[in-house]
Amino acid sequence: MLINDLILRNPLRLMQADSTKDTLRPGAFGAVLARAGVGKTALLVQLALNSMLEKKNVLHISLQDPVNKVSLWYTEVFHHIAQQYAVSQANELWDTLLPHRFIMTFRVEGFAAAKLEERVNDLSEQGIFTPNMIIIDGYPFEQDMGAALSELKELAGRRGCHVWFTVRTHRHEAPEQFGLPRQMSDIAELFDIILQLQPEGKDIHIKALKVPGTEAGSSKLFLDPATMLITNSH
Amino acid sequence: MIADQSKVRNIGISAHIDSGKTTLTERVLYYTHRIHSIHDVKGKDGVGATMDSMELEKERGITIASAATFCQWKGHEINIIDTPGHVDFTIEVERSLRVLDGAILVLCSVGGVQSQSITVDQQMKRYKVPCIAFINKCDRSGANPDRVIRQLREKLGHNAVALQLPIGLEADLEGVVDLVAMKALYFDGENGETVREEEIPESLMASAVERREALIDAASMFSDELMEAALEESVTEELLYAALRKATLTREITPVLMGSAYKNKGIQPLLDAVTHLLPCPADVQNEALDMDNAEQPVALVTDSKKPLVALAFKLEDGQYGQLTYVRVYQGKLAKGETILNANRGKKIKVGRLVRMHADQMEEIDAIPAGYIGALFGVDCASGDTFVNPGINVSLTSMFVPEPVISLALSAKDNHSQTNISKALNRFTKEDPTFRTHVNQETGETIIEGMGELHLEIYIERMRREYKAEVETGQPRVAYRETITRRAEFNYTHKKQTGGAGQFGRIAGYIEPVEDEEFVFENRIVGGSIPTQFIPACEKGFRDCLQKGPKLDFPVTGVKVVIDDGASHSVDSSEMAFMAAARGAFRETYPKARPVVLEPIMKVVVETPSEFQGAVMGSLNQRRGMILGSQDEGPMCAIEAQIPLAEMFGYSTVLRSLTQGKAQFTMEFSSYKPVPQSITDELVKKASEAKQKVA
Repeated sequence: MLINDLILRNPLRLMQADSTKDTLRPGAFGAVLARAGVGKTALLVQLALNSMLEKKNVLHISLQDPVNKVSLWYTEVFHHIAQQYAVSQANELWDTLLPHRFIMTFRVEGFAAAKLEERVNDLSEQGIFTPNMIIIDGYPFEQDMGAALSELKELAGRRGCHVWFTVRTHRHEAPEQFGLPRQMSDIAELFDIILQLQPEGKDIHIKALKVPGTEAGSSKLFLDPATMLITNSH
Repeated sequence: MIADQSKVRNIGISAHIDSGKTTLTERVLYYTHRIHSIHDVKGKDGVGATMDSMELEKERGITIASAATFCQWKGHEINIIDTPGHVDFTIEVERSLRVLDGAILVLCSVGGVQSQSITVDQQMKRYKVPCIAFINKCDRSGANPDRVIRQLREKLGHNAVALQLPIGLEADLEGVVDLVAMKALYFDGENGETVREEEIPESLMASAVERREALIDAASMFSDELMEAALEESVTEELLYAALRKATLTREITPVLMGSAYKNKGIQPLLDAVTHLLPCPADVQNEALDMDNAEQPVALVTDSKKPLVALAFKLEDGQYGQLTYVRVYQGKLAKGETILNANRGKKIKVGRLVRMHADQMEEIDAIPAGYIGALFGVDCASGDTFVNPGINVSLTSMFVPEPVISLALSAKDNHSQTNISKALNRFTKEDPTFRTHVNQETGETIIEGMGELHLEIYIERMRREYKAEVETGQPRVAYRETITRRAEFNYTHKKQTGGAGQFGRIAGYIEPVEDEEFVFENRIVGGSIPTQFIPACEKGFRDCLQKGPKLDFPVTGVKVVIDDGASHSVDSSEMAFMAAARGAFRETYPKARPVVLEPIMKVVVETPSEFQGAVMGSLNQRRGMILGSQDEGPMCAIEAQIPLAEMFGYSTVLRSLTQGKAQFTMEFSSYKPVPQSITDELVKKASEAKQKVA
């Protein structure tokens, strides 16, 4: 009951017309845009936990935080969820989820598709871990990364997994077409889904900037600013 | 002894194993004229560094015991505690940090912030020890102090600011630029004893100016005066040091110095920084617990005229008996006085007082407030508090982790037997994480500790220092049992075999409880079990926990609730209810779905990137769960959680996998249920062992 309930909270499922299509196809990219500190990582960690509940493996790559800090995000978000849904044996559930997650951290300058592929191959060849979903947190979108992103897309396609990115936007930059920030406008076609976290008053809206079948700018979901959990009411 | 407390520094030198902290201490003692020649840790000359006074430490090139020593530098008196770097000896590190006012965090300029530095840093945070960082080994190939500063910020969250700039790096390291005085410093003479001040080389000037600005920017956040002076471009050395000191004391800034202890570069400026930036005893707020007032904290004042409060933080067995290192927090510890051991309630007459320099000593008459010294011929354990008779306070009890590994010991001959007892008596007093007991069934002496290396070191010490011939069994993991569901009981103990009978009925339930060993709740109403028998019921259950019915491991995490029962006016007794409780537990325990728990260790392996696949494979084979990998350029750190039972002999495996280039640290993380297949194996082993005993 709990697991299904949690799975049903997947924001994509609620946002898309077809409620069964809750994950991206292999090789597809998704992005969560927001200013610093609004909740990009929290949102992606919830997507990751959602996949882990479905027994799908998540590879979380952070280019800014150490393993401990990333791990702490998961523990915190999971505990908030467990509290909200009054999960009775949270520790046992947590133990069953953990093997579905692997954290890798790289330095921004040392991160490239070739290196990632080498690491992922290492893990899957030894039967340690084969990802179904990859999260890349802290990717340097400020720089011209078109070619590097295409390589990552090919890699994701080959490995049969989809990739979610966090994209940091800046207050002082005016959005371009469809509300996309400047650094995304040239590479928007690489992404199947683009979500934006927009603080409005006390609420944080999860806006669809690019979601197939959904009107751009629409928003049905929110992040609870206290727990950073996804809710559909405020 | 200096009367001015503001010129006293009690500091520790903490770091990852092999960062060169013993070499650094050695150089400090040399430049402060405490020793007159320099030896290397793994001495080619067969002498060894001065701080590693134990023979074993010399041989292995590691520091086990935190020997305390003192030295003088430019009118200041510095007491230094050399702390062990291996995680197996963490209690030693923690105990040292408790008595320190400040610390030097030594980092390797090649290895950077390694896993043990992270552990040590967390401990420093816990005890709020202000620190300055010293980036050592700048002469080694691959040295990169900037990277280490970045890691200090990113990995440890320190607001690290460089006070120096290296002049040359790796083999070309010549000296350092002092960014406060804006001078270049070179170290001349055979052992770098002469510091030569020069103008900053042209090639480094731009970089030095830029770094100094960054330094002033960072420091001015904590001083309005400095901020104003910076705007008027009239920053003086005094002003800058004052601001830096203020921020360092509150741990808001970590000043970073650099050099190479081995090449005798940068040590004197480090000593200057210790005197300028680290706290004196009066700068630090220490607290004791008032034992007469529900352990309320009481602030201690670093004043020799107040009543005495001192902590025994380290014991050593010397040729003249037990040497007890103490830190006096308040009052004065003087020769001939009678003091009280607050933890044991014993009065002691202070005999000889000494000040230590590794294994040489100097007689003194008193240890004033804020100082570290040693007492002779006092019987106590480490962690005990000494006070003047009449006051009843104790210094905070230190957190002591439960041991996770045990080993059976036996003596080869009678003579050794006596020596083993002496040694064990000493070690358990010195180190609260090291415990010993005799197994009632097998008669074997069991020692317990925090890891394989921890126990190995003590066994070696028995052989060397106590000349005891010891035989050891296989290391054993400290398994435990617990229950996973609620189960009810209703048990009657009845015996009528002539004479007075025994009768007691007890009913209720047992259920799992988190974070507690044992909880007993009495919900009896209406006196179905008379009140005087309730403690006997509790004792009956408690007795059962020592040895679980499943596999004889201690049982934890059990809550017992009794809510009904019956008694007989003649036949009921404490003994009858104790027996009823034991019967009830035995009957209901299997119904509560018992499981065996094993200690899971947090293991961090640091390896060159090219071996990371192999290392991950080796961790995975050990029933480990790899949490993640951290890429640090040429090196990579892999974090995993692995059952302790699978970690025996891992150091050898890791060495052969990585050509000896990787290292790992391991610390206790939590207890987790053992998989069924392993439980079956344990059951098999236990029954074999029982047969052997029979």
